[in-house]
Amino acid sequence: MNRKSYQYYVSGTFKLGVGFGIVSLLARWVTGNTILSSPETLIKYGLAGGIGYALMGALALILFGFLAKIIREKYPDQHTIGDVLRQKLTPSGYWYMITILLLTSFDSLFVQAMGAGILIHMIFPIPVFFGMLVFTLFCFFIGGIGGMQRLHQLAGVNVTLIFAAVIIIPVYFFIQEGVYPVYDGIKLYHPYLLFIKNTDAIWFIFTAILIFLGQIMIDRATWQRVFIIEKEKVRRTFTLTGGIWATIPLAITALLMIIMFGRSYQNIYSLIFELVDKIQSTMLIIVFVLFCFSAISSAINAELHATTTLFVRNVMEVIRALTEQEKWKYTYIFSGVICTCLLVIVSIFTPHPLQLLFFFGNIYASMIGPMLYIILSKYTLPSLIPFASLIGTVGGYLFLPVTDNLRVIWISFAISTFICLSFFLYKSITKQSKERMR
Amino acid sequence: MLTIEAFSMYIMICALAPLLGAFTLLFLFIFEKRIDLLEKQTREIALEKELQTAYYNQLNQEIQPHFFFNTLNSILSLARLDRKKELIRSIETLSKLLKFKYQTNNSFITVEEELSYVNYYLEIQKIRFRDRLQYEISTDSKVNQAVIIPFLIQTLVENAFKHSFEKYIGDAFLKITIVKKYKEVYIAVWNSAFIDQEKLPHESGLGLENIVKRLELLFPNENTSVTLVDSEDGTTVSAIFPFVNKSEF
Repeated sequence: MNRKSYQYYVSGTFKLGVGFGIVSLLARWVTGNTILSSPETLIKYGLAGGIGYALMGALALILFGFLAKIIREKYPDQHTIGDVLRQKLTPSGYWYMITILLLTSFDSLFVQAMGAGILIHMIFPIPVFFGMLVFTLFCFFIGGIGGMQRLHQLAGVNVTLIFAAVIIIPVYFFIQEGVYPVYDGIKLYHPYLLFIKNTDAIWFIFTAILIFLGQIMIDRATWQRVFIIEKEKVRRTFTLTGGIWATIPLAITALLMIIMFGRSYQNIYSLIFELVDKIQSTMLIIVFVLFCFSAISSAINAELHATTTLFVRNVMEVIRALTEQEKWKYTYIFSGVICTCLLVIVSIFTPHPLQLLFFFGNIYASMIGPMLYIILSKYTLPSLIPFASLIGTVGGYLFLPVTDNLRVIWISFAISTFICLSFFLYKSITKQSKERMR
Repeated sequence: MLTIEAFSMYIMICALAPLLGAFTLLFLFIFEKRIDLLEKQTREIALEKELQTAYYNQLNQEIQPHFFFNTLNSILSLARLDRKKELIRSIETLSKLLKFKYQTNNSFITVEEELSYVNYYLEIQKIRFRDRLQYEISTDSKVNQAVIIPFLIQTLVENAFKHSFEKYIGDAFLKITIVKKYKEVYIAVWNSAFIDQEKLPHESGLGLENIVKRLELLFPNENTSVTLVDSEDGTTVSAIFPFVNKSEF
């Protein structure tokens, strides 16, 4: 494939085996969210929450693996989620879905960039703006204009750094400190962490599976990877990715124990980065900082690349036919604009607790039913199916004043799935009666 | 509340789990290619074995003495009648047919190659059956270079002669249809049946079973099928397998 061909930017040149597939998916899914949400789940739901968080990620990835196999078999000529949606939806449904995809992309990019902002703010004695300028420039060159090939070149390094940090740091600390002082410190300052008979945690885990599954199902970058992994290895790759991914949040909970024992904390979201103050060894500080940047930058790069591809291939090109040169031009412009926006937003807003992370839970949960229908159906679907997610999301928010956050997510999921199921039943019944009439 | 022992266990799992993950990844990087190669070799050996069985069946069952003697007699009559052009053509076709039959030992060939073999066979049969035999082959040009197992269409065509045309007197119609539908190749071989023909249980089980097995081996984890349908006017045997161009295989 020609390097100047846009397809080279979208999919790279070669098909991925299980090993590279896992690395590529890990680079996408070990994100700022993984680092930032782990402390919150641990503190809210104790150790059961920490284990639950790891399990829900693994389970969601494994479940998506089953779908990924079907996607790969049913849509062999497509390359992005947008391509499949265009094949299966009416124009209004298609544009609605693209809007949601772009919206969730910006949210995801924004959350990651905020994570990077917090990290820079805490570690480097320079203004956040300069730190973020370097960071966004790096993301622009790798994710924005580097393309899939460049992403894969870096994915190996990122995953190596992530594993190096989550293996070396806990082992180093627990050998140095021993488990007893950590246990005593936790028992004294955070005894609630050690209670494991926590029914709330189970409720949380199941809800989190729903959110994470919805997130994976509409994740642009994951879909692109589904199409470049060797066909017969897709399910195996997702299953193993789930298993391997789960080990990282588990290790992060061990890191958090090191930070939290024997002291209190102020900000839950910056808790993990306070590990820098705890580490005395310069080499370990470097490993930890690289781990954080690796996780955040690889997720931003993958997301930036997928969003840019979605915009050029499934928005611009649908509006009018583009030459190869124009596609490249719009890629540079679009990714440049996104990076600038991220830089400005993160520099203006002081790093804050990230409510957005959970704000989108409703959207993700209400997407599961419609996306399942879109993937599994054989024919073009009416606009009702994609719009079922909108009805689900709005319906969920309407219940917000009377019930809690987790229940609202289940309500959103139930409404959109109910609409899809009703439509499916209606279609089946009318089809049967038509056949009988004949 | 968690005891110190349970807490230690938890920390141990947390510290060891990523190590396990990293080892799994490392293992995959080192051995994935080798595992793939082994899987491919096993598949190839099985395919080779099935091909040998098919080859054996072809030799044992399908070059039957009466086919051979009848063909020779037909050729002899052409010589006696001094129809030199037809004589040369029929000897040439017979030679090509035998050459293909004895020399094919690949696990897969193209549809075009398989059809040329079927054509030789039908030309010979035409000399034997003369005006009694009418045949039609319609092919989608897109499938010419598609991969197929050797002797698939041939077995179906030979079954038509063996179970129908050679047993009963009357007109013999044969229709071969090859089309590409979506991402699959559909092959249908239809032969006419006779009104007073008794519906006998098909003896072609062995041949069809062999085709099913070989298709499964050539296209593992893909949708393949072979079905036989008897109707009022004839019998249709259909084979479905994925469309893969020879250059991509």
